[in-house]
Amino acid sequence: MEGLQQFIDFTGFANVTIPHLIMIVIGIIFIYLAIAKEYEPLLLVPIGFGILVGNIPFIENIGLQLGIYEDGSVLNYLYFGVLKGIYPPLIFLGIGAMTDFSALLSNPKLMLLGAAAQIGIFLTFITALALGFSQNAAASIGIIGGADGPTAIFLSSKLAPDLIGPIAIAAYSYMALVPVIQPPIIKLLTSKDERKIRMKPPRSVSKTEKIVFPIVGLLLTTFISPGALPLLGMLFFGNLLKESGVTKRLADTASKALIDIVTILLGLTVGASTQATTFLTSESILIFVLGAVSFMIATAGGVIFAKVMNLFLKEGNKLNPMIGAAGVSAVPDSARVVHHLGLKDDPNNYLLMHAMAPNVSGVIGSAVAAGILMGFLLHMF
Amino acid sequence: MFDNFDLNNIIAGDGILISIVGYLIVFASLLVLSIFISRLKNILTLHQRKKLKASGHRAADYEDLDVSEEINAAIGMALYLHFAEAHDFENTVLTIKRVQKPYSPWSSKLYGLRQYPKNN
Repeated sequence: MEGLQQFIDFTGFANVTIPHLIMIVIGIIFIYLAIAKEYEPLLLVPIGFGILVGNIPFIENIGLQLGIYEDGSVLNYLYFGVLKGIYPPLIFLGIGAMTDFSALLSNPKLMLLGAAAQIGIFLTFITALALGFSQNAAASIGIIGGADGPTAIFLSSKLAPDLIGPIAIAAYSYMALVPVIQPPIIKLLTSKDERKIRMKPPRSVSKTEKIVFPIVGLLLTTFISPGALPLLGMLFFGNLLKESGVTKRLADTASKALIDIVTILLGLTVGASTQATTFLTSESILIFVLGAVSFMIATAGGVIFAKVMNLFLKEGNKLNPMIGAAGVSAVPDSARVVHHLGLKDDPNNYLLMHAMAPNVSGVIGSAVAAGILMGFLLHMF
Repeated sequence: MFDNFDLNNIIAGDGILISIVGYLIVFASLLVLSIFISRLKNILTLHQRKKLKASGHRAADYEDLDVSEEINAAIGMALYLHFAEAHDFENTVLTIKRVQKPYSPWSSKLYGLRQYPKNN
């Protein structure tokens, strides 16, 4: 009888709390958005299911090693890759092996849009400081505005490991919600005529240019911001594998099998890290609010900078200012959003190629910003 | 949630300094990279342009070595047609070869006999 009572005490029904149920509902909403609305399903399905896995109630710390925060549990081992920032560089390797930088190489001035959009990171850093967060926590929250999940996880694993859960969830949620968040901001800041601007078709880029770019890109960016080396090193390495033409097998593995495996592990463990007992705090909610603000500022920053650039560009070379919004990384969703918005106002205006340039530049920019913040805030001595 | 809001925290945390310097560095690094990329094409074709200039070509021939999108599309189409072997004109040689087969298994005794390979 005592054994039966012990079993009943151990079931989820006996240990469930309201926060657990809230998190389970959130997990189901994530899965619904991924399947029904197709908002970043590759991310939201693992994260949503991870939230369910992480919020099954049980008695913690009785030696069964079940929970993600219990030393020695399977989930804890898998979470190690998040905590130590191992997964993000591997994701970047895959992204590099998938990315075609031709659009950027054919019109290099679009790279500045990727830089402009990083304003969201730094303005949110200031706001988070004013709200009483520590420097390290504020920087980790600010990086959500980079709209780059792996970069956000990487920086928070170094600066504020305690906040990885809410920061990762916020970053990935806003990446998934790009089609909802960005269009109103873009429409607010641009006129219909501006949205109809057609850009010059990109020039063809030689193979040599594509091979030289990852090498020089790595040298230039990481000499300035060595903190970004794990991310940018892998990004450019992956790209060289793709563009060299002699390592097709490696590029294929990096861009398919490897990135898929890491995405599954990353998504599931980040989701599971939202265990209600440690996740549902007022601090987490504040991080979500600040993340949204950061993302919006970044979008607006890119669009406004594109309009400023137009003041100095000749007729015929003008930019469609919407592509500035793609300067927040979120590859390739923000570029796709811009493309679809462009098609709404002019069904023959194809902006995808043009928007991919600031989009991939945003990936580099947010990684550089993360490296700079690490350089400022990691106290080595 | 906003109880700790205090603008002095920004000054105490070097917020302004880190943000301005950080943002400028991000901008500068991408600007340097973009300047390099914009010059990359010229650097890579420097030797080729020099060669063309030395061999007495007109300035227009070596100043812009870009291949236009239209030419690329034409080359791509030609290669595609070549490899797909799609062509407008079919040759008129008939490729059906008539084969005479006077016997059939139904009517020939030969098919019913065991045949051994002959040693020549």
